[in-house]
Amino acid sequence: MAKSILGIFQYEEDFLNAAKSLKASGFNDITLMSPIRLEEAEEIVGLYKSNVRYFSLTGAITGAITGFSLAVVCALVFILPTGGRAIIAFPPFLVITYEVTILFGVLATLLGFHFVSGLPAWRDKAYKVDTNIDRFSIAVDPGSDTDSTKIEQTLRDAGAEEVKQLEVAA
Amino acid sequence: MTDTNYQEPGYADVNRDILQTLLVTGPKYWITFGISASVALICFFGPWAYQLYVGVGAAGMNRSAMWGTYLSNFIFWIGLSHSGTLLSAVLHITHSGWRKAIYRSAEAMTLFSLMTAACFVMVHVGRLWFVHWTAPIPNPMELWPNFRSPLMFDVMAVTTYLTASSIFIYMGSVPDYAAVRDASTGLRRRLYTIFSFGWRGTAKEWHTLSWAYMFFAVFVIPLAVSVHSIVSWDFALSIVPGLHQTIFAPYFVCGAIYSGTAGIVSVMFLLRKYMQLERYIREIHLDNLGKLLIVLSLIWTYINIVEVFTGWYSGTSFEYEFLKFRLFGFYAPLYWEMILFCAVVPLFMLHKKIRTSWKWMFIISILINIGMFTERFIIVATSLPRKFLPDAFGFYFPSFVEIMISIGSFAIFTTLFLIFIKWTPCVSIYEVKETLKPLRRDA
Repeated sequence: MAKSILGIFQYEEDFLNAAKSLKASGFNDITLMSPIRLEEAEEIVGLYKSNVRYFSLTGAITGAITGFSLAVVCALVFILPTGGRAIIAFPPFLVITYEVTILFGVLATLLGFHFVSGLPAWRDKAYKVDTNIDRFSIAVDPGSDTDSTKIEQTLRDAGAEEVKQLEVAA
Repeated sequence: MTDTNYQEPGYADVNRDILQTLLVTGPKYWITFGISASVALICFFGPWAYQLYVGVGAAGMNRSAMWGTYLSNFIFWIGLSHSGTLLSAVLHITHSGWRKAIYRSAEAMTLFSLMTAACFVMVHVGRLWFVHWTAPIPNPMELWPNFRSPLMFDVMAVTTYLTASSIFIYMGSVPDYAAVRDASTGLRRRLYTIFSFGWRGTAKEWHTLSWAYMFFAVFVIPLAVSVHSIVSWDFALSIVPGLHQTIFAPYFVCGAIYSGTAGIVSVMFLLRKYMQLERYIREIHLDNLGKLLIVLSLIWTYINIVEVFTGWYSGTSFEYEFLKFRLFGFYAPLYWEMILFCAVVPLFMLHKKIRTSWKWMFIISILINIGMFTERFIIVATSLPRKFLPDAFGFYFPSFVEIMISIGSFAIFTTLFLIFIKWTPCVSIYEVKETLKPLRRDA
């Protein structure tokens, strides 16, 4: 088990100021939690463009190739001549290609979400239920006792309602 | 409650009000659920079992009308599915705030409409016990799929749409599953811990979810348009008069969004009334949905006029015959009922008082969907029995089994929806919070 310090805030600006102060003090490993998405919080922890987009693109391209190949292979394995039409017919096969492109794109995006977000994560982690209702919280993993004191002080100075130490999964 | 005396809820109120729809279940719910499940069993599964026993001849389909109400229902339910995910995705990427309170239920409508539509594929194929022969692809059972056929397009499109819609609604619900987890105990808590993937609302989780959700939306929009276009090609790529129309794809897509939007209004009315969600599903939603319905109604009317005009202008005898049968034949009353409900009645929504009245909008939305169901029936029942020469003419009238199965499908949809509202918050908790005053000192 490891130790984590959790600071709970009522107001958004206090929460963001605390996060900025911690970053400025050199604590880079901080987790910011909020009941809704806050773009400012994402900027503080350095999140800009997500790598999910690479998964979506790769999935879509793989889907396009798979969809077209599926139709071509089926047409070649069992040749079904109809009305002099081409065995490998591009217009109808493009419809299949289009659908499988989207299917694989969606599935790859789902995979990307799990991979990038680190979810599922069912182990004990620093969390307070109120964060999912109407509070904001910051979790910091302190390296030493000196750091713990400094972190707790920074959180309190910024206006934290509550600061506590938790035992979490390492 | 009118918007003039509207009081904005706080963040904690949102959690409490919306979670009570899941966590508190009264006798009204169980009675409705019991009736709905019984009707599904008696009207859908009972007649279907009978049809499986005696054969597909129990349905009224015949040599010239080889498609009947099963296909009409399939199109209707696929159509009804369209507004949910499509509207949600379009409004999401255009950052329309009013979407946030209504999209979850709309997406659920999509999901359960698709499931109901899929039931009709199973009912229509007749000998259900051979269905597994169609898998896998490429097929080792000597049933080779023809990827040049619109029916195969349909299989791929509907499967993709069902998968994408399921993922879209699930991923959008993950933060809310965490809220249910936090508010519950025992087995329910353990289940929702799994459903929520251990969500804590970290900046990284929100960031990744918003990116992934945006990509889902971008994928889903063209997909939804393609699905109903492809359903229309099941008909339009044939050479049957009345079906062989280039305008069918936009006609079907427009009709689908139209009936789906009307479906959303009906569902919103019921949720608002019986789930005590008046603070969240408000007049502004009704007003916006009403405006959307007017636009869709006008487009739908225009396409209908074009369809009749081009048939008449073609000057061919078989098009004349088909038009005469549709407009003045046995099913003419249904055709004119459809025009009344889908082209005339919606014009009342031009009046703001009607458009912002829950009662009137509920009635209009039901009438629109009756009209749209009729439209799908007319497409099948007035074209196939009027093919080219009189010796190919026939007549289709649904059998008792078909009528019962059609009624039962509504009960299946209702049952699935009732199960849904006890598993997933029917209004998005976190997105509603995004529309409220921020938790700031200066707010």
